[in-house]
Amino acid sequence: MLYALMGLGLSLITGVLNIPNFAHGALFAIGAYFLVSVVGVLGNFWLGLLVAPIGVAVLGLVIEYAGIRRLYAAGHDYQLLFTFGLALILNELIIVIWGPVGISHLPPALLRGGLDLGFTFYPKYRLFVMAMAGLLVVATWLFLEKTRYGAIMRAGIENKEMVSLLGIDIHRLFTVAFALGAYLAGIAGALTAPIRGLSPGMGVDMLGIAFVVVALGGLGNLLGAIAAGLLIGIAQAVVAAYWTEASTAVIFAVMALVLLVRPQGMFGIR
Amino acid sequence: MRAAVLILASICVLPLIVRPAIASEIWIFAIFGLGLNLLLGYTGLLSFGQSTFFGSAAYVAGYLLKYYGIGVFAALGVGVGIGAVSALLVGYLCVQRSGLYFIMLTFALNQLFYFIAYQWTSVTGGEDGMPGIPRPALFGVDLRDPLHYYVLVSAIFLLSLWLMKRIVESPLGRILQAIRENEVRAEAVGYHAPRFKLLAFVLGGAFSGAAGVLYAMLFGIVPLESIGFVFSGNVVFATLIGGSGSLYGPIIGSFVFIWLSESMSVMWARWPLLLGVAFVIVVLFFRGGVVEAWSRVWRYSKRTA
Repeated sequence: MLYALMGLGLSLITGVLNIPNFAHGALFAIGAYFLVSVVGVLGNFWLGLLVAPIGVAVLGLVIEYAGIRRLYAAGHDYQLLFTFGLALILNELIIVIWGPVGISHLPPALLRGGLDLGFTFYPKYRLFVMAMAGLLVVATWLFLEKTRYGAIMRAGIENKEMVSLLGIDIHRLFTVAFALGAYLAGIAGALTAPIRGLSPGMGVDMLGIAFVVVALGGLGNLLGAIAAGLLIGIAQAVVAAYWTEASTAVIFAVMALVLLVRPQGMFGIR
Repeated sequence: MRAAVLILASICVLPLIVRPAIASEIWIFAIFGLGLNLLLGYTGLLSFGQSTFFGSAAYVAGYLLKYYGIGVFAALGVGVGIGAVSALLVGYLCVQRSGLYFIMLTFALNQLFYFIAYQWTSVTGGEDGMPGIPRPALFGVDLRDPLHYYVLVSAIFLLSLWLMKRIVESPLGRILQAIRENEVRAEAVGYHAPRFKLLAFVLGGAFSGAAGVLYAMLFGIVPLESIGFVFSGNVVFATLIGGSGSLYGPIIGSFVFIWLSESMSVMWARWPLLLGVAFVIVVLFFRGGVVEAWSRVWRYSKRTA
């Protein structure tokens, strides 16, 4: 579900803005580190979960407004270089501010320990993350499908010229989409922190996964992102049980296999 | 002709200015850039996974050099082969998609190879890299002397440049450029675009492979970073800053990039941060590459004078 969330955010940014966002993983990592810092200052996990992703969204807002906005006319190569440069900067800033060593972070007291489901014993926090991620995916879906601005955003993915001809401020749309995508990445990072702990490399690892989700699910395709996220999440869990070392490589192997059979991705748009 | 003289002159002068190791690194990186430029500049394919081929070749050839004691030319041959084969595998999946999907696929497959190298510690050494790559003697010449090795690297660079010039000026090169300019039209006159893109991938991969082997022998180690995505990004940066689409662009870019990273890495341990800032500044203000930046500075100095 977390993978779906990451893929969804990236899918929005890539689909609406038509840029390759190599900083998406860094935004994810920043979300996790923001959470740790906010919890450290305020001492409350829930406040942290609320504030940290908003912080990432604001960061996304600034990035779009100050940098990416100037690059829509430039080719993908320069957009890539820009977001790649940003990823390097954010990644190194994490090391400078929070240190190169991994940090572990405990879930809030309420969600510690496990829950007996009858057939198996499952950590409470993981259940919470699944519910949270599911809720966010549904909320994003409702926003995109049922609200006016969501409809505009979907239209922006389909045909940008037409949308701006209809008198809609396309630049504001881009900014909102980027901030929303950054928010989703940030909250995915914040939710991950108590499960896997934090390390400066977490962003890059997640970036690759997010790209796989988008490549399989299709740009701006919500259902595709969820299906692809679940597929690789399950594949990874299954392989991890038997052969731990291969659990990351398998994500990309699954992608390669799917693309061999269906080069156009799981749902075959564009 | 002028370009040839200039390159020969810089090959001769360079080791007098900087350490031979850095001079070698510049030409190796230039070979790497030449390979990418065939894709990026001539075919219009933005590959963000070139280190896949560079690193795979470096690991395989490094392994054979270390444990089986093969010669320099055999190692280079293996590297070129591995570079081409890995590019064939990756390219086959990637050329079926275009635009943003293509970029993301090259990156994702790069990550696949990275994680294999990262986890397969018994062979690759994982995070520590694969140390102890020897530099065998060639025709009785001891290549362990940095200057001797520099001569070999320069010779292979010149060979690569000559080959690349032949490739881009051949009918094949023209077809690739036609695909870059207008893929639909190239298809319409009868060229199956994916097949030519794949061919460009394989050729580019072969150049990357040669560069990877030279790199491994230069430093005596195959670091894990050599197959990582930052390496892929660096070569894209070098090619763009030198000016893609021109044969000599990657060479200029390699000079600028190695100079930048060498001078930054002595300044601060967190130098990738500075590198990132350099990327952002270049993209925002000097999008035309070095050539345009130079003419802008020149115009500015004329105005103020």
